[in-house]
Amino acid sequence: MAQIVAAMAMTHSPGLTGWFERAPEEQQKHALRATAEMRERLIAARPDVIVAFSNDHLLNWPINNTPEYTVGIGAEHLGPADWYDEWLGMATKYRIPGHPELARFIVNESVRRRLALAYLRTMEFDDGISVPMHFLNPEGTIPLVPVTMNCTVPPVPTPERSYQVGAILRDVVKAFPGNERVAVVATGGLSHEPGGPRYFWVDEAFDLWFLDLLKRGDHEALLRECTLEKMEEAGSGGTAELNAWVLVMAFTRGPADVLAYMPAVAWRSGTGMVAWNELA
Amino acid sequence: MGHVDRTDKTLPLNEMMFYIRRDARLRERWNTDLEGIAREFGLSRAEYEALRDKDVRRLHEMGVHQYYVPQILRLFYGASMNTNNHPALEAYKLAYPEEAARALAEAEQRERRAGR
Repeated sequence: MAQIVAAMAMTHSPGLTGWFERAPEEQQKHALRATAEMRERLIAARPDVIVAFSNDHLLNWPINNTPEYTVGIGAEHLGPADWYDEWLGMATKYRIPGHPELARFIVNESVRRRLALAYLRTMEFDDGISVPMHFLNPEGTIPLVPVTMNCTVPPVPTPERSYQVGAILRDVVKAFPGNERVAVVATGGLSHEPGGPRYFWVDEAFDLWFLDLLKRGDHEALLRECTLEKMEEAGSGGTAELNAWVLVMAFTRGPADVLAYMPAVAWRSGTGMVAWNELA
Repeated sequence: MGHVDRTDKTLPLNEMMFYIRRDARLRERWNTDLEGIAREFGLSRAEYEALRDKDVRRLHEMGVHQYYVPQILRLFYGASMNTNNHPALEAYKLAYPEEAARALAEAEQRERRAGR
């Protein structure tokens, strides 16, 4: 059976690669230090594959048909999408091997547990996967199963729903008939309102409150207190990317280590990195 | 609920943006034949005019998904170095002057405190 060996989460804002040096130096230092620590922890866990969860920024599906979740089942992933390369400051494309056996197992085994997942053999990549891979898997040596989620097209799913899906996917991944060591990575958040009236705003108080809930490690308390309404108040259409973090929380037990937090208005996003120690 | 709930999911402009972002040939026509593209995708006159005028508020009010609005602006102004001083972001400062000024002032205060 497969084994979960690491769980972590980080912001994926395009500023982290596209205009990194425009943030105050202190924030740049924090971001570099925290992503380096994530990478160290990832390597120490010796994963055979990363399963990464991120918002799909309306790239893979048109607005008339946006699945809740989509699994990339291809043998190789190529990114970023042409539309995103200049914005992300990524002049050259990256290639990361996929893990079709695990990806297809996730799709089919989830169905048996009454969870419908869409899939794509060729997935397009926006900042959601591209930015974290730039920092965590820069050589593309660790195979990847990307899972995109809808965090921005109404109706945006609730954190409770994301946690329930996370619990199913945790059991599905662990039921994979192989000896794979699996790292799970959530990307997105923290507070931001991409393209909305409060585009420049970061809700530092919300972010610190949310990170404190993760540090406490009481999943029930977090789900009770951090409602979708609170996420939307802290930045509509963007902060709910934290649903990916809540999903990955279902792969863990107990407190998360907060590696960094920056209220980075220059990157137009509350920016944070966390890692969990105890895995479910 | 939040601002994103104002999206009109059936607005032709929202459908069009999916294809624009995936098709370089359509993007090449953006600055020379916007009206033609708008016609092909069945946009109303009001949708086309809001696009042409790069009018952030009108685009929001007619139900364009908020994430698409800066992407529309990048088609006009370019995508690289999308900092808070990029023309696409300047358009937001014009459309929402109070929200922008408050957020940027907060950021400045934080920096000043950190610098002490």
